[in-house]
Amino acid sequence: MPRKNSLKRIVESLVALLVLAGLGAAQTSVGTRGRSATGRQGMVATAHPLASQAALDVLQKGGNAVDAAVAAAFVIGVVEPDASGLGGGGGMLIRLRSGKAVYINYYGHAPSRIADAAYDDAKDNKSAKAILVPGNVGGLTRALEAYGTLPLASVLEPAIRHAEQGFVIDETLSKIILDNVAVAQSHPATAEVFLRDGFPLQEGDRLVQPKLAATLRAIAKGGPRAFYEGPVAQAMVDEVRKAGGVLSLDDLRSYQPITGEPVSGTYRGYQVLSSALPHSGTVVLEALNILENTNLRAMGHYSTSADAFHVMAEAMRRAYADRLAFVADPRFEEVPIAGLLSKDYGRSRFAEIDMTRVVPAEYKKTPAGDPAKFGPGKGTAAESYDAVTSGHTTQISIADKQGNLVSLTQTMGTFFGSGVTANGVLCNNGVNNFAMTVKRNRIEPGKQPRSSISPSVVLKDGRPFLVLGSPGANRIISTVLTLVVNLVDYGMTAEQANAAPRFLCQKSDAVLSLESRFGPEIQAAMTHRGHTLQLYGDFDLFFGGAQIILVDQAAGTYFGSADPRRGGTAMGY
Amino acid sequence: MLRVLRTLVAVASLVLAVPCLAPAQGKCEQPILLTSAGQSADVTIAAMLFKKVGLAVTSSPMAKVADLGGSKTLVVVAGFSTKGLGSAGVNRDQEMERVKALLAAARQRGVQVVLLHIGGKARRGPQSDEFNRVAAGAAGHLIVVRAGDEDQFFTKLAGDRKIGIDLVDKIADAAQPLGRLFQ
Repeated sequence: MPRKNSLKRIVESLVALLVLAGLGAAQTSVGTRGRSATGRQGMVATAHPLASQAALDVLQKGGNAVDAAVAAAFVIGVVEPDASGLGGGGGMLIRLRSGKAVYINYYGHAPSRIADAAYDDAKDNKSAKAILVPGNVGGLTRALEAYGTLPLASVLEPAIRHAEQGFVIDETLSKIILDNVAVAQSHPATAEVFLRDGFPLQEGDRLVQPKLAATLRAIAKGGPRAFYEGPVAQAMVDEVRKAGGVLSLDDLRSYQPITGEPVSGTYRGYQVLSSALPHSGTVVLEALNILENTNLRAMGHYSTSADAFHVMAEAMRRAYADRLAFVADPRFEEVPIAGLLSKDYGRSRFAEIDMTRVVPAEYKKTPAGDPAKFGPGKGTAAESYDAVTSGHTTQISIADKQGNLVSLTQTMGTFFGSGVTANGVLCNNGVNNFAMTVKRNRIEPGKQPRSSISPSVVLKDGRPFLVLGSPGANRIISTVLTLVVNLVDYGMTAEQANAAPRFLCQKSDAVLSLESRFGPEIQAAMTHRGHTLQLYGDFDLFFGGAQIILVDQAAGTYFGSADPRRGGTAMGY
Repeated sequence: MLRVLRTLVAVASLVLAVPCLAPAQGKCEQPILLTSAGQSADVTIAAMLFKKVGLAVTSSPMAKVADLGGSKTLVVVAGFSTKGLGSAGVNRDQEMERVKALLAAARQRGVQVVLLHIGGKARRGPQSDEFNRVAAGAAGHLIVVRAGDEDQFFTKLAGDRKIGIDLVDKIADAAQPLGRLFQ
């Protein structure tokens, strides 16, 4: 049986490779741009080689996936300070070998005095007023304490080292600094880190962060309390207040991550676990439930089959419409989650799809469904739209030899967050994820905004199959969805799936955004069905930077892939 | 008299029809208009270069033909950014139209054009190169951060058009050749 399954996977992979090869000679060779690895005991995949190395070192020294993920997360906050870090937040999905699955929500929440900020999204979205109470330190230390095996000081060591000794800026960070010079210039402490004589640091320059190192040392010595209380906390509050924000010592002191269960569903016999509310695992699962009603494999790959592309776009957009209407902080709003995740609801949404044309003709008129008919829980649909934001955030995927899995997505908000730095810590701008005019996602003290993060794990027959996730703002959902389809429906390898062209079709846009590697024929076919297309680059960071681990149980092999759209690497052992 | 006038007109037409002169050292004049080709954030950094060498400049990332005014030199900072386009509220085609019209007007009026490419590899690739090519094709001089010319893209363009090019290692280093142009 195992041999048959392996042969089947080989055949499927060959077919998928032929499909991708058929994308055209002018396109970049799929096989040469990935950052892939294989391993027989475990795998790590992150957006930076230093973070991957830190995680691998932990695993090789006997630490488990949680130890490795926490080490990598602290390092990535040093070497990708623009995208996540101590001043940000995130979510971690842990699936233990025992079968227990946990979601640690360490996203930030609105400060208690947020009303005093009189936040105006048009002008304050990259300012101190946009800062959520940062959750990274609380969440990562909670995970380590509850599910790790190593002491905090040991896990923090690589991050401290890279902050103190510095690291060489890569092409990705160089570009992001360039794109965000104005934000870096907006605050003296931030300019001190990222600019030299006013000019941005570039690829090849060494970024040394002594103040960040000192903060990390304080946490290594004193635990999370050393961040959320005492002189570090006071300095952060002072800096944020000076810049016009409303963060308080009480906000920091009282921050607690939320530990609960991930959302869970199935897709073509696989079990899919993903991020709990108000993060967007529900949206990914709903879209999969819709797509389960059709045979994507028989249609052919969506990069060449207009039927597959169209039905995915239509399913995706309906799931996004429901996200806007229903997804919110469940501590503040009732969310009809059972209905949203029900197979019958997915079936009802699929029934709305017309394979010959876009329905409704205007994306922005895509109505929410009525999930309350399919499960307990109320929740009135609310109209809202998401702004299109940059592809910030970062993903860490880990699988250890015991069979423990961690999928972690953490963020600063948008690249460079609020632009405010305190103690060497760049602070987030997560308030901009609230929707100002819609009660369901309106700012309230203590409330979390809706977030797109969807760290996910897929199991086959109860055993690890995939660990995946991506940054990319609201493209996180479309990217994770597309990856699952590529890996499950089309049987791709991790590298092929990561390299396959991506797209986004959501209610908030008037256009379907896609990478330029979709050929002219498929573009014409989609236009003929009523889609208006907007092209991006061939491997465009706009569509995220996914980190994937695929576990081939039959072969006893881990396959890791870091997204070619972003700096990063997978490492196996 | 009429023959003299005709001769003068013919000479004047020739002078005006000649492509922008390669502004060798000291040949660029003020006032200077600074604009973007592709709406990357690099135009903000470019303004800092002028400040560093003490040159006054009017910065207008979305400069239109009317903004040329009495400018004697147009400095174009090339590099594509979808984020920049979004912030400016234009799409790629609209931006290209603007840039081409501006360069055509500069040529017509005898305004010297200098290309600044300071974003390195980040401002290369198919989308950026469309703008890089258009801007470099109209420029009389190029100042380029070396990381953006690893494949000799700009060096070849300069060679083909027989115009000057300054390659620098760091963004801040671009100030020196920029200043020399206006001495």
